[in-house]
Amino acid sequence: MIRVEKLNKYFGQQHVLKDIDLEIKEKEVVCVIGPSGSGKSTLLRCLNLLESVTSGKVVVNGHDLTDPGTNVNQVRTDVGMVFQHFELFPHKKVIENITLAPIHVRKVARAEAEQRAYELLTKVGLKDKAESYPGELSGGQKQRVAIARALAMEPTLMLFDEPTSALDPEMVKEVLEVMKQLTREGMTMVVVTHEMGFAREVSDRIVFMDQGMIIETGSPVQIFSNPQHERLKTFLGKVL
Amino acid sequence: MMDWDWSVIVEYKDLFIRGLLVTIELTVVAVAVGMVIGITSGFMRISRNKWFIPAKLYVDLFRGTPLFLQILFFHFAVLPTLAETFGLEAPDAMISSFVALSLNSGAYIAEIFRGGIQSVDQGQLEAARSLGMTYPQAMWHVVLPQAFKQMLPPLGNEFITLLKDSSLVTVIAVNDITYAAFVTAKNTFVRWAPYVTAGLMYLVLTTILSQMVSYLEKRFQTNRY
Repeated sequence: MIRVEKLNKYFGQQHVLKDIDLEIKEKEVVCVIGPSGSGKSTLLRCLNLLESVTSGKVVVNGHDLTDPGTNVNQVRTDVGMVFQHFELFPHKKVIENITLAPIHVRKVARAEAEQRAYELLTKVGLKDKAESYPGELSGGQKQRVAIARALAMEPTLMLFDEPTSALDPEMVKEVLEVMKQLTREGMTMVVVTHEMGFAREVSDRIVFMDQGMIIETGSPVQIFSNPQHERLKTFLGKVL
Repeated sequence: MMDWDWSVIVEYKDLFIRGLLVTIELTVVAVAVGMVIGITSGFMRISRNKWFIPAKLYVDLFRGTPLFLQILFFHFAVLPTLAETFGLEAPDAMISSFVALSLNSGAYIAEIFRGGIQSVDQGQLEAARSLGMTYPQAMWHVVLPQAFKQMLPPLGNEFITLLKDSSLVTVIAVNDITYAAFVTAKNTFVRWAPYVTAGLMYLVLTTILSQMVSYLEKRFQTNRY
């Protein structure tokens, strides 16, 4: 589903991703953990080319994103993304946030898009907020709408960029619940997160990054109960 | 001595009415053409494409020199030279005024436009792009509606400034409001009434304009965000 080969990324002189190799299979749930500034979010953003790639290859659903001939917009329609700061469109109602891309990108009829949007809002428990503006919602509600918005494009893959980091503690759970539900439905997911409990519970595989490199990869049991590298041990010592 | 002989205004009313129409015409054309130029060069200014660097030069030139000088420059240098080159008649003062005012307002509007777009969080564009929208789609549906709200107050200011500064074309003998006052005062030796009349006419126009802008601002405020 995703294949990353020898991915390198520079911000100016700063080498933020170093020779990243990563493969993610269909229906796999992969959590990326690591200290701040380790390149987790940058790696995630390279997977739908929100961040340009300096060298290496990123293949998503069989399309090489680094090939200039690839229609990136087309690839992105199959890759949903959820942001730390929600990024709902504040000038549009919740329902419009969700139907905007299906109508204009997928060319779905408005009525059909709205029906689908209501189904998704029901799924994330916010059916009664369809006519609200994002400014009227709590952080947890915003993030659930953002997830519904991404799902409306019927993606085959979902990317989550620290989806609970900007939330008040009491709202983290409602968002994680929605994400857990997605994993049960077999969605392929890559999640950058600081929620170790969530990572341990839902991941098929955990990737630990530090200083722009993937240091260790393994099942939750391997990572949390039997870490190999010193840096991972140090990191876990701080966060657990 | 304050000479308030209002009868001269009645005597010269045709000149004032013509002046009013010319001032409105200059402002409307300069705003409309300025918007087109401004939006185009505003987009060029936010682009990273190196071919659009001249847009910055344009904006800097027209914001960095006096409008008064620009009017003289176009009327007495640029347009006559162009006319000679192509064997055309020398353009009249109205054409020169349109060109100078439109280019000048275009430069200011470009910066207002750029500022408006850049005031919208980059994450909004990213969210739209991540949903598969093209850059123009993301701009149109997501960024511009939010930018427009930010742009309205400075745009309103620019239009009001433009309306008032159009009075500078009096110097190349365009029959605008200020010109009407100037000619009336000169011909009748009545000094107060003509200039006060002109001032009142501008006040009425700027008041109408600012009312229109605040109406639009209110309309956009009702979107609760």
